[in-house]
Amino acid sequence: MLHLAWTFALKDLRLYARDRSALALSLLLPLFLAAIFGAAMGGFGGKDTIGKVRLLVEDLDQTPRSRELVKLLGESANLSVDEKQDARKAIANGKAPAAIVVPAGYGADLEAGRGLRLKLYRDPGQAVEQQIVAGSLMPVLFEAGGAKLSREVVKRGLAELGLALDAIPGFDGTFDQTWKLMEELARQEKEKEAAYPALTAPAETKSESVDFLARLPRFLGLDVEDVAGGENQDDKLAGQAHAVSGIGVMMLLFGLVAAGGTILEERTQGTLTRLLLVPAPGSAVLLGKFLFTFVSGMLQLVLLFVFGSFVFDVPVWRDPLAVLVVSTALCAAATGLGLFLAVTCGSRKQLEGLSTLIILVMSAMGGSWFPLVITPEWYRKLGHFTLNAWAMDAYQGIFWYGKGLEGIWVEVLVLAAIAATMAALAVRGWNKRFATNA
Amino acid sequence: MNSTSTPRDVLAIDVRGLVRTFGDRRAVDGLDLALARGASLGLLGPNGAGKTTTIRILSTLARATSGSVRVLGLDPERDALELRARIGVVPQELALYDELSARENLEFFARAHRVDARRVKERVDWALELAQLAERARDRVTTFSGGMKRRLNLVVALLHEPELVFLDEPTVGIDPQSRNHVFEMVERLVHDGTTLVYTTHQLGEVERLCERIVVLDRGRKIAEGTLAELQHLPGLARSHALRVTSEADAHAAQAFLAQRGVETRLVEELPGLESVFLELTGHALRDDDA
Repeated sequence: MLHLAWTFALKDLRLYARDRSALALSLLLPLFLAAIFGAAMGGFGGKDTIGKVRLLVEDLDQTPRSRELVKLLGESANLSVDEKQDARKAIANGKAPAAIVVPAGYGADLEAGRGLRLKLYRDPGQAVEQQIVAGSLMPVLFEAGGAKLSREVVKRGLAELGLALDAIPGFDGTFDQTWKLMEELARQEKEKEAAYPALTAPAETKSESVDFLARLPRFLGLDVEDVAGGENQDDKLAGQAHAVSGIGVMMLLFGLVAAGGTILEERTQGTLTRLLLVPAPGSAVLLGKFLFTFVSGMLQLVLLFVFGSFVFDVPVWRDPLAVLVVSTALCAAATGLGLFLAVTCGSRKQLEGLSTLIILVMSAMGGSWFPLVITPEWYRKLGHFTLNAWAMDAYQGIFWYGKGLEGIWVEVLVLAAIAATMAALAVRGWNKRFATNA
Repeated sequence: MNSTSTPRDVLAIDVRGLVRTFGDRRAVDGLDLALARGASLGLLGPNGAGKTTTIRILSTLARATSGSVRVLGLDPERDALELRARIGVVPQELALYDELSARENLEFFARAHRVDARRVKERVDWALELAQLAERARDRVTTFSGGMKRRLNLVVALLHEPELVFLDEPTVGIDPQSRNHVFEMVERLVHDGTTLVYTTHQLGEVERLCERIVVLDRGRKIAEGTLAELQHLPGLARSHALRVTSEADAHAAQAFLAQRGVETRLVEELPGLESVFLELTGHALRDDDA
């Protein structure tokens, strides 16, 4: 009995070993995905714990004091600082999660002990980045402002948290003591201890540590303005819009590769031969497949966005023309990819294996599963070799940043170029494998 | 009909020195073939003889490596689209959409073959009638028996009224009743003047349906002619039979011939298994079980 069972198992193992698609899926794909997630979240080699957050700086003061601030920001371990004019517009367009504007007179104010007058523009959709920016700004501003300013900042912060000064022993002590207390407060708040009710988490899903860090820039005396997100600046919307479009793009790819795979199915069942014998060029068959695949993809997207609109309030109807144009370009690109893979693979089974591998890797690299903004810069650049990244940029541009066609034309053009390239490769593959005399 | 005596302009198929190679292998090796319009040709040969490759080249699905090929006076490479409108191909595999009904399959292929929109219904009804599938026209093909699928597979290739039809083993895997029906359909085509090229391993089918036979082996033509001509090829062993209907007559005939010094062997002729089967189960099509 056992011997017979082992004979059966050996037969299956032999078949499994000969099925390269199944081997790749079951053995290599987990390694690929683990590597991609690891790289996205922490980088390779265990040294980079997280990617640097891009912070735009617009220095309108241009004094030694302001240059010193810019220099200190640049030296921050978690910030990647770029100086840029019109920083507000850049944040509104999703170019970076946050920007600091150093106003004219900053240096003079500091010299006169009048405190900081800095403007912080934020994209509330990038909540994780805001925490990193806030956490990084505090030591920089303390250092730039000196001990006196730091003490004022702490006082203001504690007052905003509803804490009386006499509740804090040794407030007039050293800056180090105060800083230690801030750390202790944050820790205690994280554990939601009742000793500091003002810091207790509100009845929302956000953790208090997030809320504390989100409020920190105001404690520091910065003039904060959230400039992205259109009329609805609820950062949940950014996540929901990302989820709807991210999953949409990935599932669209799966659907369209499967639809393109009907070429191989028709070849197996013999109907492809019949189609090649009709009095029309063989390319008519390929065009027919393109149309079928494209239409099914558009239906898939329409359904998804209507669902997203009703269930998650994703602002699909804010600019339906822009959504339609992006979806059309995306569908054409995905259809081209699906057909290219279909005419390249030898069998339906091979197509399923290869396409699953490619689509999952593209989805992880291209931001379908998590926003690329949380990944290191090299990862973001690599991700933009996938059509997912361009589609995600375009959809996020419409849904979160409120862009119209004029704001996403680059993404649309790239998707159209991918569509044209993939279609050309599909035609070439088709002619090589299936075309006969016409 | 002899290929050398037929003018080229009345030939349905005119192939000279056809060669098709796959790497170093010559699948078709210098084939000459001629078939008059309205004639029927049986293409015989063991597996790998080059039958399918030849048909693929003649029907525009593959290119010749060298040689001259004319089908219905057209060059399959240069005039592929025009030629496809005038030929029909019945593939060996059941090239049908299982999830569509018989009528939907026929309507699709009729439109694909650019049958005039006003004639699609007429042609589909004709095909359903010919295949005796009118009563199951709205049923999905996946519910059909093998025989029903074979018949449908055949009539799909006839929707656009082709002048020349290639049939590649059209009776594989079906019961004798359906096979007989396919034979009748093919005989009707021949009767109506359609040129036919028929490949099969079943020699009896060629004997019944084709007036000319070509035998291929290793890509070369090794014999050609009518059945009678092939039977009289030199070197083939022959015997003669005298048929009588009763056993008593047989014994009398044997004794008579023995007196004249003619040695005979008495053999009782029994019905073949197919005849027994059809006698027992009847000749009518059995589609109800599907």
